[in-house]
Amino acid sequence: MDPILERYQQLTRRHFFGLSSVGIGTAVLSSLLNDDLSAASPRTDGPSTTGGLADLPHFAPKAKRVIYLFQSGGPSQMDLFDYKPLLDNMRATDLPDSIRQGQRLTGMTATQTSFPVAPSIFKFKQHGQSGAWISDLMPRTAKLADNLSFIKTMNTTAINHDPAVTFFQTGFQLAGRPSIGAWLSYGLGTLNEDLPSFVVMVSKGTGRSGQPLYNRLWGSGFLPTRYQGVKFRGVGDPVLYLSNPPGIDQDDRRRFLDDLAKMNELKHDEFGDPEISTRIAQYEMAYRMQSSVPELTELSGEPEQTFEAYGPDSRKRGTYAANCLLARRLAERGVRFVQLFHRGWDQHTELPKGIRAQTKDTDQPTAALIQDLKDRGMLDDTLVVWGGEFGRTVYSQGKLTADDYGRDHHPRCFTIFMAGGGIKPGISYGETDDYGYNIANDPVHVHDLHATILNQLGIDHTKLTFKYQGRHFRLTDVHGEVIKPLLA
Amino acid sequence: MRSAMTEDRRRSVANFLIAVGSLFIVSAAFAETSADRVRFNRDIRPIFSDKCYTCHGPDVNNRKTPLRFDTAEGATQDLGGRFAIVAGNVEKSDIVSRLTTDDTIRRMPPAYAGHAKLSDREIDLVSRWIEQGAEWQSHWSFIPPERPEPPRVEGKTVNGIDHFVLERLEREGLSPSPEAERATLIRRVTLDLTGLPPTTQEIDDFLRDTSPNAYEKVVDRLLASPRYGERMAVRWLDSARYADTNGYQTDAERYMWRWRDWVIESFNDNMPFDQFTVEQIAGDMLPSPTLDQMIATGFNRNHRGNGEGGIIAEEYAVEYVVDRVETTSTVWLGLTMGCARCHDHKYDPLTQKEFYRFFAYFNNVPENGKAFKYGNSPPFIAAPTPTQREELEVLDGKIVEAKQAFDELHSEVSAAREKWEQSLTRSDFIDWTLNEDLISHHRFDGTVAGETPGAPDARANLVDGLPEFKKGKVGQASAFDGKSFVDAGDVANFRFEEDFTLSAWIYPTAADGAIVTRTHETPSEVRGYGMYLADGKVQLNLITRWLDDCTRVETAESLALNQWHHVTAVYDGSRLAEGANVYVNGKAVRMSVVVDALNAPFGVKAPLRIGAIDGSGPRFQGLIDDVRVYDRALTPDAIAVVATETPLHELARIKPKKRTRAQEDKLRLAFLDEYAPTKIREAWETLNQARRTREEFADAFPTVMVMKDREDPRQTHLLVRGQYDQPGDTVAPGVPAALPPIPANVPNDRLGLARWLVSPENPLTARVTVNRFWQSYFGTGLVKTVEDFGSQGEWPVHLGLLDWLATEFIGSGWDIKQLQKTIVMSATYRQSSRETPDLTQKDPENRLFARGPRVRLPAEVVRDQALAISGLLVEEVGGPSVKPYQPAGLWTELAGGSDYPQGHGEDLYRRSLYTFWKRAVPPPQMLNFDSAGREACTVRETRTNTPLQALNLMNDATFVEAARKLAERMMVEGGHTPQDRIGYGYRLATARELESKSSEILLGSYRYYLDNFKTDRHGALDLVSQGESERDQALDLAELASYTTVASLILNLDETITKE
Repeated sequence: MDPILERYQQLTRRHFFGLSSVGIGTAVLSSLLNDDLSAASPRTDGPSTTGGLADLPHFAPKAKRVIYLFQSGGPSQMDLFDYKPLLDNMRATDLPDSIRQGQRLTGMTATQTSFPVAPSIFKFKQHGQSGAWISDLMPRTAKLADNLSFIKTMNTTAINHDPAVTFFQTGFQLAGRPSIGAWLSYGLGTLNEDLPSFVVMVSKGTGRSGQPLYNRLWGSGFLPTRYQGVKFRGVGDPVLYLSNPPGIDQDDRRRFLDDLAKMNELKHDEFGDPEISTRIAQYEMAYRMQSSVPELTELSGEPEQTFEAYGPDSRKRGTYAANCLLARRLAERGVRFVQLFHRGWDQHTELPKGIRAQTKDTDQPTAALIQDLKDRGMLDDTLVVWGGEFGRTVYSQGKLTADDYGRDHHPRCFTIFMAGGGIKPGISYGETDDYGYNIANDPVHVHDLHATILNQLGIDHTKLTFKYQGRHFRLTDVHGEVIKPLLA
Repeated sequence: MRSAMTEDRRRSVANFLIAVGSLFIVSAAFAETSADRVRFNRDIRPIFSDKCYTCHGPDVNNRKTPLRFDTAEGATQDLGGRFAIVAGNVEKSDIVSRLTTDDTIRRMPPAYAGHAKLSDREIDLVSRWIEQGAEWQSHWSFIPPERPEPPRVEGKTVNGIDHFVLERLEREGLSPSPEAERATLIRRVTLDLTGLPPTTQEIDDFLRDTSPNAYEKVVDRLLASPRYGERMAVRWLDSARYADTNGYQTDAERYMWRWRDWVIESFNDNMPFDQFTVEQIAGDMLPSPTLDQMIATGFNRNHRGNGEGGIIAEEYAVEYVVDRVETTSTVWLGLTMGCARCHDHKYDPLTQKEFYRFFAYFNNVPENGKAFKYGNSPPFIAAPTPTQREELEVLDGKIVEAKQAFDELHSEVSAAREKWEQSLTRSDFIDWTLNEDLISHHRFDGTVAGETPGAPDARANLVDGLPEFKKGKVGQASAFDGKSFVDAGDVANFRFEEDFTLSAWIYPTAADGAIVTRTHETPSEVRGYGMYLADGKVQLNLITRWLDDCTRVETAESLALNQWHHVTAVYDGSRLAEGANVYVNGKAVRMSVVVDALNAPFGVKAPLRIGAIDGSGPRFQGLIDDVRVYDRALTPDAIAVVATETPLHELARIKPKKRTRAQEDKLRLAFLDEYAPTKIREAWETLNQARRTREEFADAFPTVMVMKDREDPRQTHLLVRGQYDQPGDTVAPGVPAALPPIPANVPNDRLGLARWLVSPENPLTARVTVNRFWQSYFGTGLVKTVEDFGSQGEWPVHLGLLDWLATEFIGSGWDIKQLQKTIVMSATYRQSSRETPDLTQKDPENRLFARGPRVRLPAEVVRDQALAISGLLVEEVGGPSVKPYQPAGLWTELAGGSDYPQGHGEDLYRRSLYTFWKRAVPPPQMLNFDSAGREACTVRETRTNTPLQALNLMNDATFVEAARKLAERMMVEGGHTPQDRIGYGYRLATARELESKSSEILLGSYRYYLDNFKTDRHGALDLVSQGESERDQALDLAELASYTTVASLILNLDETITKE
């Protein structure tokens, strides 16, 4: 291979995926000199990681990567995990004011005149040695109960989708802050030289169309844009503009890049701007992505049993099942943060029908992914998180009938689970009251969850900061406690 | 050879890193010069602010001890016989030992809070400052700039800028660079002032022009170009968080482009910046504001608006005001006021109370925190374009003409009318109906069938019962028994932004029942619209989702049962309860608003029904007669006419003086509409038609959201911890005490605030503004933190230059073009941007300006330039946003629903500032190239260099098509040899002549592809078929494909996407 190109690739290995306008050499320099980036000196130790901050990780990490299975719309904890047997006797009675405590309600039920208690119509059973209560909507996940760690007392500040999802992704209800994955890319750099360190995938199931999502949910906020998530798409090019235009094959592209590099090199000789070298390196990186991404997304090499495990949908590009399988492949290749979004959990009405469809789409792939990671010995250092932006109310929104009800948004308490990544398996943390309406003990706020995720990656959440508008911002704002009892 | 260069480069950087050793030598060059006296503002405040103010700063609630380092008194006070700082005495100043001790319990800033020890340099500075007398200064940016005298320097200068720059370079032992080559220079200044590259003709003219003011002529030409306004507008749109969608959840379209066009026009007209400010902040409060002054206020309505179902309106009402405060304070004052929302500012002298006093100026907009999900939310105005305004005048003229023509017939009308009325008195039954815009009419005279001009195929039939007719109010009426109803067919499927009128005579025998509806029942609710009788009250319902997305108004009084009433429900399409009304017996009655939250369309597939709603709701009992549906909101006068049941022949018998106004109107309208002689009817129809035409024309005007103040001012409270539902003390409007007060001669309202922002005493506005402009030329501001001029902001590298520019700007009458001219005329700007190892070492970021700017082009310029040099660019200033190419599926993936409706034709080739900006899914190319996200105010420009940019430039249809069109130009205009053609393409892109080495590379490239494409005609055809523009069929396919590839390479050159 051309020695120059080889050199550029070395450069790229040191500085994966984008450098600021000051270029390679001066990036090092300016970051040492510039208050704005004072925390941002790229780390140089260790061959396995590139980019990232010099003082990170703050301590030995338990997890190398995260796969976040975000269930967008707000899954009903009442019908999945938070078993409330006493409710059967209170069916259709009005939720007592003593329980509701004047909590703010969404405009959708704020003027509802009664709040009839709607016990879940789904059957719950205990599973595994841990005896976790899981409804029959999640049979496959239930089988893995002893690998999972449930948090029954998640709670959030927001009560509507847009701010609530934004809160989970960025630690703040309003647009403008970096997403978790962007923080991690900024702080920890990448483990992979040919792929982005933060990948996002979006799927939609057979249920309701689901709430919209937004680019900002994987945006970089005030961090440089190179830290934003790269969306792997279910249609067209898996990464935007990845394919050469028709008529141009990879040989043509190679020639193109060689000539482009020669031209840019001449320019560099003349102008001496290190930015030009960076640009050459980035074009080489783009070229490598043109082969690494299709190689990654091409599933045909997977054995038959993989597809059997993840379910028939896993052959269909863009489904939750296919994305779960891709998540495993990304994890194998060292992608730091894989963020899945699955839409359609917003069941204000006809919840039983909707949640059946949702769980049919997601239960098997979720379980398959965790099992797959485990079988490959990767679950130990991969943190899997499953959960939505809030839960749903115990009372019915709209009419309660024998086999139908709806539930409004409920930010006060809801259930998520985690697996792997140094989290204690087979436990359930926190308890809600008999109505599943309030937290009885051990609340876990979104900030606490963030602090815990960062902790597993070896990051002290109070120390991963970025100065913007004169303030040292962090993912957890000025809050957050690591949930110690969850740690293995 | 090249490899060696790279090695050199690496080595030099490595050597430099070693040479630097301790890390602050270079930054010290920007902060202090070795033996220089330590200065509080420059050297000490940044340390105190960043390291101490969190606990010992302005925020009283966070101070754990009385000790504070933001005031001299606070820092030198007696702390029980000990002192943190004793001027001139390092020994007695506790601070030094607390900073230096190894005892982690005592050491400050505290290790337990995760803080590192101060650096040796910082400690040294603090010690020296104390030693030198611990002199305090007010924060530099709060002291009004005084015009500094440009220092005397040797060397080439054009204007004041160069004096400051050269003086500094001399002190640093650096020399300025020579002027850039002329071709490079004209490209630089053309891109900077217009956002587009120069044409080859413009380059040639400049190269040939040997006059001493050749460059100035170019600058003047560019400043006069309409492209200048477009270029300047883009950054302003970033700061104003301008976009084409509402930004939350559904993220549907809004219409603010009239404001965007106002910005472009204002820059092109060179509106002075003070006026530009006042009109945007408070144009609505100026005496008799012009339409343009109203449009200008759209600035503070560009924030996002939440229309999500179920939100708590007050929560977002607060967020909108906070956004205005944050945006206004960032853009004009360079202050991070938002930090004081929840608590006193940690670094700057801004209290939480002051935040809410500032908030109060913007807290009076008559708005609902729950914004409309679709379209503009009130207050908004119709904002016709200049062309539309002209056309409106023509239409107004036509009305005047028609009115005159009709008035001239006055005596004829009177005579004919009298004659007609006479004949009427002798007639049998004659009646007439107001027909205009009547789309459905059921007389119930022995049949349920109606006339449905609005839907000729609609058929009515009676459901759940047998037809029964009884004596009605006008002829017969239909009887309803609480079960039966009339299915009136598929007519009147109104959209929520359409106006309509429903009217009927009713004789109710029960207090509840639907009258006229178009509804659909789902398990949870009834959707649609309708006029109902509920508890005897007449209700108008407009329901998308009951409770949180609907409007319900009803009459305050109940109707008496068992008697006839005429009831009319009118909706004006405004989505507001105030636009929904009920009339009883032709008169307005007292209304009550039950819910006012209509937001999304309520159309349903169900038919129009008379006497019932869909599903289980109560059906009408009694008689219904003469049901009418108009697809227009009738005026009160027209409603009175509709409610006048007396037939014409009877009206004619009433003496004119005894007639009611409605009776008189009915006679008059009937006459003019149907019974007058042809000549009169035609004149009347012409006048009506002229009025209708004007109305329809004006209805289609674009609208724009504007600022407005409520008539009853809202009381503003401090919000405890910034929470909307935790109001604290009330506060009055006011500006922060650390800044000069509102001038005495202006009122203390939003207009006063606007004038205060641009008053000469304001220390910040001019500095912040010139700094932002400077950033757009040099890539970095003189103060790098363009968004923050507070304590945590950067100390300006050139305070003298900043203040000189600021005072020049004010002195010029805030002349924006003159400021641009001053910058681009300076020798500093005109320097070559070549780097030397020396410069790279001493000033890697070019903060001292010993060379010209070399910066990658902004996102929109990357695309616009490609369109321009390929000849695709369609230049047209302003208008609705357009939708150029975008990979399919992006919208659907995230939001579901319909995908991006890509435009065609000219829409594909407009400048990027006209590209439709959906906040949830912004145009991907713009994001790839670091454009602002447009969710919130952004003033700092950032640039990254990523592989996604490479993929974008190589493979995006926009750039592949541009490459093909550039190739066509190369072949058609570029000469006959491949060398010439490639050289031409290169020159179009870079303004420079292609040198021989480069020429060889590109020629080699061309030959390689030509060999390929000669044998791969399919591939060639595929490549040149990208994009919707016509291909020049006269050109050889293989050649065109090969040139296309070379053109693509040219578009991908670092030099092409860089201003150098």
